[in-house]
Amino acid sequence: MNEITVDVRNLSVRFGDFTAVDRVSFSVRRGETFGFLGANGAGKTTTIRVLCGLLHPTEGQVRVVGVGFEDGERAIKSKVGYMSQKFTLYNDLTVDENLSFIASLRKLDPAVYAQRRTELFDFISFGRPLNTPVHDLPGGTKQQVSLVAALLHDPDIIFLDEPTAGVAPASRSRFWAMIRKLAAIGKTVFVTTHYMDEAEQCDRIALMREGKIIALDTPEGLKRNAFPMPMLEFDPKEPLSFAEVSAMAQHDVFSFFEPYGLRFHASIKSEEAWERARPQFEDTFIIKRITPSLEDVFIHKVEGQAV
Amino acid sequence: MNPFVWQRAAAISRKEVFHIIRDPFTLAAALVLPVFMVLIFGVAIEFNVKKVALVVSDADQTQSSRRLLDTFGSSGYFLLQHAGSPNDAIEDVTAERARAALIIPPRFEKDLYAGRGAQAQILVDGSDNSTVGPVLGYVGSIQTIASRRIGNFNSPNTYELRTRFLFNPELNSRWFVIPGITVVIMAILSILLTALTVAREWENGSMELLLSTPVQPLEIIVGKVAPYGALGLIAVTFVYIIARTVFGVPFVGNLAVFGLGCLLFLVTYLALGLLISVVTRKQVVAMQFAMMLGMLPTQLLSGFIFPVESMPAFFQYFTMLLPARWFMRIARDTFLKGSSLLDLGGAFLALLIFCGMMIFVATRRFKRDLEP
Amino acid sequence: MNRTLIGFIKKELTQTLRDKRMRVLLFVMPVIQLTLFGVAISTEVKNIRLAAVFDSKDTVVRHIYERSINGSWFIPARGSGQDPYKLVEADEADAVLVPPPGGFTRSLGRGDAQLQLLVNATNVLQAQAIEGYLKNIIQQTLQDDLNMSQAAPPIRISTRVLFNPALETSIFMVPGTLCMIMIITTMVMANIAIVREKEMGTFEMLISAPVSRSEVIYGKTVPYVILGMSNFPLVLAVAVFIFHVPMRGSLPVIFIAAFAFVCTAVALGTLISTYCKNQQQASLAGFLFMFPMIMFSGLMFPIENIPDAIRWISYLDPLMHYMGLLRNIMLKGGETSYVVTHISILALMAVITVIASFRRFHTTLE
Repeated sequence: MNEITVDVRNLSVRFGDFTAVDRVSFSVRRGETFGFLGANGAGKTTTIRVLCGLLHPTEGQVRVVGVGFEDGERAIKSKVGYMSQKFTLYNDLTVDENLSFIASLRKLDPAVYAQRRTELFDFISFGRPLNTPVHDLPGGTKQQVSLVAALLHDPDIIFLDEPTAGVAPASRSRFWAMIRKLAAIGKTVFVTTHYMDEAEQCDRIALMREGKIIALDTPEGLKRNAFPMPMLEFDPKEPLSFAEVSAMAQHDVFSFFEPYGLRFHASIKSEEAWERARPQFEDTFIIKRITPSLEDVFIHKVEGQAV
Repeated sequence: MNPFVWQRAAAISRKEVFHIIRDPFTLAAALVLPVFMVLIFGVAIEFNVKKVALVVSDADQTQSSRRLLDTFGSSGYFLLQHAGSPNDAIEDVTAERARAALIIPPRFEKDLYAGRGAQAQILVDGSDNSTVGPVLGYVGSIQTIASRRIGNFNSPNTYELRTRFLFNPELNSRWFVIPGITVVIMAILSILLTALTVAREWENGSMELLLSTPVQPLEIIVGKVAPYGALGLIAVTFVYIIARTVFGVPFVGNLAVFGLGCLLFLVTYLALGLLISVVTRKQVVAMQFAMMLGMLPTQLLSGFIFPVESMPAFFQYFTMLLPARWFMRIARDTFLKGSSLLDLGGAFLALLIFCGMMIFVATRRFKRDLEP
Repeated sequence: MNRTLIGFIKKELTQTLRDKRMRVLLFVMPVIQLTLFGVAISTEVKNIRLAAVFDSKDTVVRHIYERSINGSWFIPARGSGQDPYKLVEADEADAVLVPPPGGFTRSLGRGDAQLQLLVNATNVLQAQAIEGYLKNIIQQTLQDDLNMSQAAPPIRISTRVLFNPALETSIFMVPGTLCMIMIITTMVMANIAIVREKEMGTFEMLISAPVSRSEVIYGKTVPYVILGMSNFPLVLAVAVFIFHVPMRGSLPVIFIAAFAFVCTAVALGTLISTYCKNQQQASLAGFLFMFPMIMFSGLMFPIENIPDAIRWISYLDPLMHYMGLLRNIMLKGGETSYVVTHISILALMAVITVIASFRRFHTTLE
């Protein structure tokens, strides 16, 4: 059960002058839920597209469930399930028409299709009639049907590109419950997301920035690595000016000081230094100790000052 | 009802201009296409039927029959080819290898000298509308010429018909076609351009965004029509320059009159295009409607090639509903006849009414609710 | 048959037919258009407004005028002015007969007879026809009126019109219009089909499945061939039963011709779509092709007249071949060598176009 299902070595993808993916290497094991985080344009979608057989690498090697591009892109495509960023179902067709079309694309036997469909609808607790037009479904349900579409041929590995974008929170957590179920039955799930709370649920996360992977670890590992020292939250009693914020950020005691919504998160260099510096700030801020979240890691590594 | 605010309409125009500039394809289509089309069709279209393929079955093979053939050949209207028997000749016509067959019977010369009257027969392919009429006409005059040359026959009924072809003395097809094709191209292009823009905005959701602002439907329409109208006028200018310089089509009328006609016409069809897009909301369908309501009627019913006067009465009234028909009049008459605004008053009035109507209906149909 | 292909056919047909407007466009509009155009358009010139400026003693001119008006082409001009030029300029008359001073009748006796005819020549076709008709009428009038026991001309050329002796306009026009309508529905739809998927994003989903190029291309063309062939019987029926266009050829042959044409049109639409990134481009490209195709098809003016240098464009026009085939099959029974040649040309065009589409099409996003 520890077999490697995705193996990427020195993958680069270039479009003309622009390097979308820059010598990326990583591997994913069977049953892992692997998360890909990064700003828009970092290269996440491009990487996924390569792994789904939709794009040829400019350089480097990929192997997905034992096949690579040398076996032909169709070999890769037959092994993976893919749910792209837009809900790509046909709005003017019904649920069944959409799914049976996809079944025909995958050359599934009608009997097999019917059975898979029943199983999967069970899996997502889909209660509506089969002939509901897709444009009548709420966003969260369209989501789920897209997932069913991606799973119809029972792939070992499934790639989800921002599957919960624009979906209500309740639906999101239901969706992730399904992802966990998939992992439990041994499917490898490869997901990109912007939602940090979802990223927390992955087994491992890779952070991408400008085409490179800048960190790769479990969520805990990432946090520990980014913030070896304790983290504090500063809640200003009155709004601060930019000058005041800059001044604070430059302060020696902080290894990291970034806005976090209306507040600020900071990591200190040492406890002693902090004890000495604390009195300066206690008037202006309410200060608390917090455990760093992935959002902090993200801001620090990807959006914050260059490392 | 909120009043019409020019600034809002202007803002929409500005946005539309950015769209157009950023999309070189549309720009090329609107400016280069009409020019290209006028050039090609101006050269290609020629109504004077010449070089009609005539297959000859000469069973007589005498000097007289050969002189008859010569008369046909030297008329400039026919290209002769030879066949064996009359059946072979008919076969050639059936097989589309010739458009007409000339059958000369074996006694041709004998009958001529005997004073019995030599007979020959022309069989014309009736499946092709364009050649039948002219061919029948040519035959008549060739008969007279042949009678005179070969039979030394001078009809006492000679008279001279002096025909003056007014406004186009040399029956130059181009003078006729080019104003016409300008109208057709502008009509189709304007409908297409606007029919697609709004349908596209419905499809990608930006129309909802627009309608969530205080903008009024009329402002949207005016805002969208203006830039495309300007584009259309620029295209017409190019076409006019080509018509005058490359093809030598005369323009004896008043440019302002022609320009006014262009403007009204463009606005009408642009508004029609918008109406189509509002009603259909899907580009595929908008395109089909544009073709059906735009291209076909304009090509066939506006008087471009098929004369309106030849249509059954019902259609003559029906085509009054076609703005293209009126502008075709205006275009041809300002180019070739020099008609003034007064002369063309009826046509202008009709265009004005249609223009207003289109805009009115389009405004009304701009549904404010967002249900697709 | 390939399961994927069947799936495609089902999907495309469902999507197209579910849209009510598409149904109207596919089935209702062609019938309406055909009916409309079959009745309305003709190149035969009629209802020509004729005026004649003459005094009552000029009997020959009067007879000419009366004969013209009583015939099927001319109607009396409105307008009452005496200035012939002004009559034409004010658009009250299309043609005016102007006898010489002293009258035409008298000048005939003298042997230097002249008759002037003013014709509005802004419409070249019309002007030529008017002159032709009038020459004919004048000739007949002279023969009757002058009643000399004149010898008949020594050479008499009789004319017969083959295949359409009554010169019925609709028999010329309807087959041509039919072709035109068919190309609009088939080519445009096929064109938009692929581009739409790209624009909506469903294309990516499509190619994420292990489909081959042929499956996608055939999947996108076969349904539209089916749709195209489905409205052919309808319009053919209208042509034959409402317009009484004869059907002298065999049904299987005409269906094969239609099939070859529909395949070519759909293939062309598909090829064009591979060059277009969005639907607006696709639509404009469609127009860019269709308009010249109609113009060069021979429907509106004879192809023989096109200068040699550019006539080859007509030979590349599928519509020209199809129109020729329809006319030949329906009106002449379908002459074998002609039919075989042109169907083969259409088939060749279809094949080449499909091959070109294949080369341009990728099942990866590049």
